[in-house]
Amino acid sequence: MIEKLLLKLRARDAVAPEEEEALLGAMGEVEDIPARKTVVKRGETLNRSMLLVEGLMCRFKDLRSGRRQITALHVAGDFLDLHGFTLKHLDHDVMSLAPCRIALFPHDRLTRITEERPHLTRLLWFSTNLDAAIHREWELSLGQRTGPSKAAHLLCELYTRLQIVGLIGEGRFDLPMNQTEFGECLGLTVVHTNRVLRELRERGLAHFRNGKVRIYDMERLRAFAEFDPTYLYLAALAR
Amino acid sequence: MPRFFFHVHNGHGDIPDESGTDLADQSAASRLAVDSVRSMVSEDARRGVIDLKGRIDVKDAADNLLISVDFIEAFDLTLP
Repeated sequence: MIEKLLLKLRARDAVAPEEEEALLGAMGEVEDIPARKTVVKRGETLNRSMLLVEGLMCRFKDLRSGRRQITALHVAGDFLDLHGFTLKHLDHDVMSLAPCRIALFPHDRLTRITEERPHLTRLLWFSTNLDAAIHREWELSLGQRTGPSKAAHLLCELYTRLQIVGLIGEGRFDLPMNQTEFGECLGLTVVHTNRVLRELRERGLAHFRNGKVRIYDMERLRAFAEFDPTYLYLAALAR
Repeated sequence: MPRFFFHVHNGHGDIPDESGTDLADQSAASRLAVDSVRSMVSEDARRGVIDLKGRIDVKDAADNLLISVDFIEAFDLTLP
């Protein structure tokens, strides 16, 4: 149940067997969630955090007009709302994009980890710091990159994150969201997103359609997006 | 919800919409077309090009033309 989380953490630091036990011991119920269900509502009081075991989820904020900004995507092995452990409610919603499986981590059990296991606590702290680093990169995209380069950058990021948890096969990966939702990550309408994706395809870089991504040329896609994975903190270090 | 297809015709060439988008009604489709023109032209403008010759044809699933939005209709233009 926590294999993907362990892959994600072990790419960055060692996780001792007793720390793995402690994580498993902190895990509570497991739930299956249908696609497009809000699992955390903004403002709701939280007494547990959720680990995404399988599927694809997003964090989003919206305006009264209905315009929605997806502020983060989460893949298997990501905590969806570990920041909710200290915040106790969120300023945004969390929603499934595809059918998902989540594992609940009651906050009292996370509290025990923080009291008994300082290194494991630092690894969990690392993962919320990593979320923040990804947010900063998205800010750069939203503020400064052009549409095609924003889309290319997001595909590079997802490729890298999914590769860590073993979900990439020969330049292809599943991205079970529609083009409206992909556009909501980029701040573009679905029609504009279609134009952007067509440009990536015509340049021979990548193709996204019907929930499937195919990377034609990773080197050129990275160069086009100015993708530098440093912000994903991929080195295994003592943290 | 009905599905609408937004086919873009402009200087970038014709961009057929192969997947379509589910929306509440035709007026939502019309708003999305106008928003999309503004979004695409804004991006081109940042690159120093404004081309208002294009249009978006909004069709239903049976390929009937419902709305046609000329790019220029999406703007109040003030020229020197």
